[in-house]
Amino acid sequence: MERFTIELIVSNHYGVLNRITGLYTRRGYNIDSLHVSETENPERSRMLITSKGDEYIQTQMARQLAKLHDVQEVILMTQVRRSVD
Amino acid sequence: MKLNGAQIVIDRLLAHGVTTVFGYPGGQVLPLYDELYKNADKIHHVLTAHEQGAAHAADGYARTSGKTAVVIATSGPGATNLVTGIANAYLDSVPLVAVTGNVAVPLLGRDSFQEVDIMGITQPIVKHNYVVRDVGALGDTLDEAFAIAGSGRRGPVLVDIPKDIQTDVCERCDAGSVVGGGDGTAHPRVSDVERIVSAIKNCKKPYIYAGGGVLASGAEAELRALSERLSAPVGFSMMGLSALPDDYALNLGMTGMHGKYAATVAKSECDVLIALGVRFSDRATGNVGEYREGKLIIHVDIDLAEIGKNVPSHMYVCGDVKEVLAKLLPALPAMRNGEWLSRVETLKKEDCQPETACFTPRNIIKTVRRFCDDETVVATDVGQHQMWVMQHYGFMKPRTLLTSGGLGAMGYGLGAAIGGCMANGKRKTVLFTGDGSFGMNLTELATAVSQELPVVIIILNNGVLGLPRQWQTVFFEERYSQSTLDRKTDFPALANAFGAEGRSAETLAQLEAAMQNLPGDKPVVIDCRIDMDEKVLPMIPPGGSVKDIIVN
Repeated sequence: MERFTIELIVSNHYGVLNRITGLYTRRGYNIDSLHVSETENPERSRMLITSKGDEYIQTQMARQLAKLHDVQEVILMTQVRRSVD
Repeated sequence: MKLNGAQIVIDRLLAHGVTTVFGYPGGQVLPLYDELYKNADKIHHVLTAHEQGAAHAADGYARTSGKTAVVIATSGPGATNLVTGIANAYLDSVPLVAVTGNVAVPLLGRDSFQEVDIMGITQPIVKHNYVVRDVGALGDTLDEAFAIAGSGRRGPVLVDIPKDIQTDVCERCDAGSVVGGGDGTAHPRVSDVERIVSAIKNCKKPYIYAGGGVLASGAEAELRALSERLSAPVGFSMMGLSALPDDYALNLGMTGMHGKYAATVAKSECDVLIALGVRFSDRATGNVGEYREGKLIIHVDIDLAEIGKNVPSHMYVCGDVKEVLAKLLPALPAMRNGEWLSRVETLKKEDCQPETACFTPRNIIKTVRRFCDDETVVATDVGQHQMWVMQHYGFMKPRTLLTSGGLGAMGYGLGAAIGGCMANGKRKTVLFTGDGSFGMNLTELATAVSQELPVVIIILNNGVLGLPRQWQTVFFEERYSQSTLDRKTDFPALANAFGAEGRSAETLAQLEAAMQNLPGDKPVVIDCRIDMDEKVLPMIPPGGSVKDIIVN
């Protein structure tokens, strides 16, 4: 299993973190590290989520996260450079 | 303009063209119901017997009309009773806006009377949801909810409105700041279209696998044109059935676990599978490895997350099916492989089961069909009867089939039939159900009676939970654990007690008589006793492939 990080730009309000982690819970993927901080724009937060998974898991997570209404941007960072779409 | 929260809700519903809503009042949603009372001439509220029935009715309304439907419930138990209906709409991509009341904002989070965190509860089964904590945001939130529900891959959105927000007055609530869906739907790229066209040109045995996405995008004509251009047979997922008329020569019907033999076998033999608006549900594919064998899979879907989720495709286009086909069609040459077409023809002949004159599910469905026209909306519940309807009814027009696909929710049918009937100008609507499914939400008979709906309810009554029984016969050595319904329910008498009309049939002649002189202003229940060991065939065991198909 390859370690991968997903960077998200999300709406900065209550409940958003829950929606994000809920997707990981539903698929049964453990989050190894999680970092959330407000961006220079107070309406947005940046999240960095690291977990482990193969190419299928990485792409699925990135695409499922991108569907959330509160998620504005998804960047999948892997050891191998890979495009989401 | 000064409006309170409840008035804003009415204002936004009207702005989105909502004329019918389904729901059930309760303490925390009374301010909204007060406004519904004052606006009864503009919005018809259908009071159901249970919130689940209201959610299914809204779902049926949306599926028939293609418009986003609205369901309203109170906090706590009212809201939790919606959950099955919301999940059903989510799995079948049905546009739905659920409005719930909740306790006043200062009481939230204190385990107040009839308080639940419905936003948390519904989070995994909605496209998006909201708790509105400021009346100033209510109008925009509702606009956004409609935009999300009705755009991209459609689905349910829940808006939870605490009671004080319903009564708070908004000083400035000029609407209209939210426009369009803007859900990041991709548009087909020219390069993708070119690659797909050249791949299809090199294939000899094309097969189109069409799903709910075809109906959602209104691509029925394009689907037919593609099938004719390529001389490609079309098999459907359950959600796609009704996109092409049953009498179209290349329509093979439903594929999958209980699909038509020809549809499933032809799919396994094709060399290019063009999958349009499907998500390759496990019920439709079985063993994924064998499913993919020897064929090129081209996947078209509006939801990027569906690409490669269940079945890896060789090529894909992410986009609206209609839009993608509009780009593909002009670039595709006319193709015709006589050998492939005659193989398909042979399979269709093998598919035919011997005709009998017995009181079998198939003959019951075909008899009822003769009393329906092509526009008749047909709802089903979940189980054996549902599969028999898919196999034998013969749908001719899009959006005439209301059935619970992804969730497989028993108890869906009666609510859905009510919603479908309302959306269809209260024309005759048919519900096929089983005694098990009907038992789950039969209280909605009261709703069909009070709304004076001509819903014809055909109960395929076998006294058992037929699909569990069938599985127990095949996989559990006939140990019928809890699948025998040892009930003594007299369905015609029950119908009469509700103010509907009860009839029964034990022969096809009796059924024909029962289908005549139907009242136009109330539901009729026709109890049809069938054998408890009738099977749904063909059947592919879960995780199996076409090699494992059981035909008798």
